[in-house]
Amino acid sequence: MVVYKLHYFNLTGLGEPIRFLFHYGGIDFEDVRYEMNEWVDLKKKFPLGQLPVLEIDDKEHVQSMAICRYLAKQVGLAGDSDLENMEIDAVVDTFNDIRLKISTVMWEQNQEVKKEKQKILHEQQIPFYFKKLDEYAEANNGHFACKKLTWADLYIASWSKYFSYAIKEVFNDYENYPNIKKVVDNVLAIENIKKWVETRPDTFC
Amino acid sequence: MTYKLYYFNIRGLAEPIRYLLKYGKIDFEDVRVEREDWPKLKETMPMKQMPVLEIDGKRVYQSVSIARFLGKKVGLAGSNDLENLEIDSAVDTFVDLRLKVTAVMTTPEDKKAEAMKTLKEETVPFFLSKLNALAEENNGHLACKKLTWADLYFAALTGIVKFGAIEGEDIWEKYPALRKVVDNVEAIDAIKTWINERPVTDF
Repeated sequence: MVVYKLHYFNLTGLGEPIRFLFHYGGIDFEDVRYEMNEWVDLKKKFPLGQLPVLEIDDKEHVQSMAICRYLAKQVGLAGDSDLENMEIDAVVDTFNDIRLKISTVMWEQNQEVKKEKQKILHEQQIPFYFKKLDEYAEANNGHFACKKLTWADLYIASWSKYFSYAIKEVFNDYENYPNIKKVVDNVLAIENIKKWVETRPDTFC
Repeated sequence: MTYKLYYFNIRGLAEPIRYLLKYGKIDFEDVRVEREDWPKLKETMPMKQMPVLEIDGKRVYQSVSIARFLGKKVGLAGSNDLENLEIDSAVDTFVDLRLKVTAVMTTPEDKKAEAMKTLKEETVPFFLSKLNALAEENNGHLACKKLTWADLYFAALTGIVKFGAIEGEDIWEKYPALRKVVDNVEAIDAIKTWINERPVTDF
């Protein structure tokens, strides 16, 4: 039996897609969570001073996307071919492009700069990217890639709680993007995911 | 399969893709788009960005995803899922650095000097020392103690590394294991030939 130990903050964020994949696959794992104040001291103990880190049989692995891709393969949510895997990767990378823009604005300290960036984000960038993602969901029959459930669906669905906080002014649970909403709702209805979302620690994002 | 690569007339984010195609001796059309022709072409591209690789007429995008796909195709992927995880982790770490460098490159002039200072004194050393440690552990490679697409990806984007160098400094002196990664890649015949015959551009 492989032993898994996930280290991340007590938030959804970059840890949540990994947690979704573990729960989907019914795989046991230790879900270690750090508060910001305790993390400062622990930072030096981890390879890149960053989280998430996944220990697999005591060996530390970094980089959330690499971890997700690996776990997806373990739980049967990867593509059936290299071309399918590239399709999945491309959609997830695209989602991450807008997710990064959203995170950057959310953590911006300078209020004036934040307001300026928020305007562009809410009025241009989010509509552009969400429309594209909605088109992919439409073209793939209620999934983001390959016309079937893949880790792209779980990945994107896992960020909804974070977006409800980070872009609360415009998010609306994808109400204006019915095809995205369908994919996300389908993921959240999966038995194991539904149970996880109902019982996971309550965090602000 | 027929391949057509679209990018600007620079090395940039397309160069890892070109390295992989050359390594695999895969014929491809290396389309370089002039700045003035881009606005019109932009509208026809999936995400209005490049690089885009057209495979048998179908357009795919996202440089790292394309590199991963080609890495598999040309025999430079891992032998199992854990090896692929290791390769992905190394590449993603380098991409984290690349994104921080490009963020500074595009910082408004009045904040740029400060941003550059932090970049060169903290960010670049932090990431390069981590990557150098990986290269040491992996005998002159970034993962799995062997040549993988991670090495080609890194070697094709040394411009990023050099951007972080302090004036007059040879950045490789501080990171000899990373120098070895690049040397190993540049010694490969197909890559050596490509470097000699590719268009000479600033970036």
